[in-house]
Amino acid sequence: MDKKEFLRAVQACRRKMNTASFLDKLVSALSIGAAVGILFWAAAFVVPLYYAGLYAGLALFLAFLTAVLISAAGRAGMEQAALRMDSFGFEERIVTAHENLMKDGELVALQREDAMQQLKAHGDRIRIPILPSRKKILVLAGLAVLLTVLAVVPSKTKEYAKELHALREEIREKEDAVEEVMEGLEQLAQEELTPEQQAEIQDMIESLQNSLSEYQQASSQEMVSAASEKLNYKYESINAQLSAMAQSMQNGASVSMATAESMEAMADRLREMSGQELASANGAGTGDGQGSQNGNGGTDGQGDGSGNGDGQGDGNGNGQGDGDGDGSGNGDGQGDGDGKGQGKGRGIGSSSTPHDYVSIPNAIADSGNLTGNAVDHDDSEYFYAQNGLSWEGTHMSHEAVIGSYEQNAYEGIAAGKYPSGMEDVIKEYFSSFNR
Amino acid sequence: MGELDSGRLQEPAYMAQQIAACEAEIQKGIIGQREIIRQAMLAMLTGGNVLLEGMPGLGKTRLVSTIGKVFDLSFKRIQFTPDLMPSDVTGTNIIIKNEQGSAFSFERGPIFANLILADEINRATPKTQSALLEAMQEHTVTVGNDSHVLGEPFFVLATQNPIENEGTYPLPEAQLDRFMFKILVRFPSKEELRGIVGLTEGNQEPMIEKRMDGRGLLAARELVSQIPIADAVMDYLLGIVMATHVANPHIREGASPRAAQALIRASRAKAFLEGRFNVSFQDVAEMAYPVLRHRIIPSFDAISEGTTEDDIIRAILEANGKV
Repeated sequence: MDKKEFLRAVQACRRKMNTASFLDKLVSALSIGAAVGILFWAAAFVVPLYYAGLYAGLALFLAFLTAVLISAAGRAGMEQAALRMDSFGFEERIVTAHENLMKDGELVALQREDAMQQLKAHGDRIRIPILPSRKKILVLAGLAVLLTVLAVVPSKTKEYAKELHALREEIREKEDAVEEVMEGLEQLAQEELTPEQQAEIQDMIESLQNSLSEYQQASSQEMVSAASEKLNYKYESINAQLSAMAQSMQNGASVSMATAESMEAMADRLREMSGQELASANGAGTGDGQGSQNGNGGTDGQGDGSGNGDGQGDGNGNGQGDGDGDGSGNGDGQGDGDGKGQGKGRGIGSSSTPHDYVSIPNAIADSGNLTGNAVDHDDSEYFYAQNGLSWEGTHMSHEAVIGSYEQNAYEGIAAGKYPSGMEDVIKEYFSSFNR
Repeated sequence: MGELDSGRLQEPAYMAQQIAACEAEIQKGIIGQREIIRQAMLAMLTGGNVLLEGMPGLGKTRLVSTIGKVFDLSFKRIQFTPDLMPSDVTGTNIIIKNEQGSAFSFERGPIFANLILADEINRATPKTQSALLEAMQEHTVTVGNDSHVLGEPFFVLATQNPIENEGTYPLPEAQLDRFMFKILVRFPSKEELRGIVGLTEGNQEPMIEKRMDGRGLLAARELVSQIPIADAVMDYLLGIVMATHVANPHIREGASPRAAQALIRASRAKAFLEGRFNVSFQDVAEMAYPVLRHRIIPSFDAISEGTTEDDIIRAILEANGKV
């Protein structure tokens, strides 16, 4: 055996050691990764964990990567290989010879010769197992089987996790859409607009911001549907407002045409989006449909009601105004085929006629913040009239008070101020007065 | 007998064979005590000195005289007693009268020999012990203003009785450190005792033949000092010595750097004696006991628990693995 042969023998041992070490580390790391994956899948049976599979895969991948990196970092050198060879009964002859392979000297040469001779004679003693221990392989196989079983066995929690994930995806998409609209409105707010228009747009943005919050807080399909329903209404409302705003601007020519056009474009976009919202909220369908809208009229006196809505399918709309004022509404719907569409609308009204009298605290009777004037309120004292205790001041009818509250409530619903699901309760409450 | 071929003194393989033959020859004159013979041979190959601890009558004198015969070396035995003076060991200047008048002349003491058996060294006073220890360490003797170089090879085999402590002067740790090995001489087995009795009480004394001479021994020492030690083995060796300094409830004081030197030399000599030209982990581990046992000072806890120096060394070796 010469030096080259000796080095080749050590090199071969080194390769075997590194391969064995890599496989051993790989099996150990994959076992740990599989155990972590099992924990994820087991957790997915208890809590909704949509990404359990991804996490388990990631754990296995990280385990593999760790094994590769650790093996690469801890690769055995030639000296370690020589030492390992010596452990098979060579009494450190090989490592000594390897270290002094290029050195001269009679004793060194003699030692080298002795080492090579021993290696040649007893090289068959060196047996480095490549494969990891059977125990480790069995553990890994067991963990892999368990992992697979856990991954494929269905469960309600897994299904729920899928649904929840789909819901979150939907919410994310809707949030993106709302943010896009808000961005568009913010850009519009930068245009040359009157303070009133600016304020209107700010209100729109705030209203959409509320919708965004609703989506962020939504934890069920019902909540998302309710939020979408409201958002749809907001889109319609904003669409109408923007269209009106654009029209007035075009008529007045007070601003550039570009602003009006961008407003129109925004309105068109919102019209499209409101259609999409509706479709997603109520289910896609084609065919005859119905568009309906309700307009609530003003309270006493004159009132206007307006509303709009659209739906898919042949539709119609109506507007109602209750009370002493006039109410009007309009709506449209279109579509064809099978299915149904819906449209909703509401009207708002105002009154220019005197209100019924109501009792107000005379301390604020002269406040400029109050509309209407208190009459005959020279002092705040009550008096006993023929029919009993009475106060000076004006009176407002019960219907007017209810009407005012109702109007505020509907505006609040439109602005998304109330928790999701409460809208119907509020509407039912006020409609009960009308019944 | 195989006469030493002076032309092959630089041949490691040949010299290793000769040393092995010497060991075999010594074993002819000593029944049992193979470990003692082996360690005495190792000490001779490294130029170290040996402290033998054991009961009297275990063949220590016979061992040294046999070694002397096999290696063709001069041998002296000094019985240490409390009244032994340094000059009784080293020699002294005496007045010589002759025709030219009188003059001081140095009269050599028994220390001037190749092999010295310092029997019951702990019975002499520290001053006398020191005279011997200077010779052991420096291989010189200083009398008055003159230093006298001892002949090479020089080898001291000192003994001490572990039981009788009355009227003794135990060697201080610093002086114990000068002994390369401390060998514990155990009582022979029944079979060995039968052999010893048969050998000594029989009519026929075994013929011990010269196998080597001082020149050959020095050449062998030179070869031993050249034996390569792999880095991994050296790390292991130093790790063992350093481990005696790590906080250990059984160790009051660890081994000195001289211990590391002695362990290297002893391990090399062992490898050589076994016909190898490299030091193995096993060599180091086996040599750790005789090299370190008198260099580790056990703590009070260890003494009270009955933990011996060998127990401590065994624990260190186990902790360091490899063997």
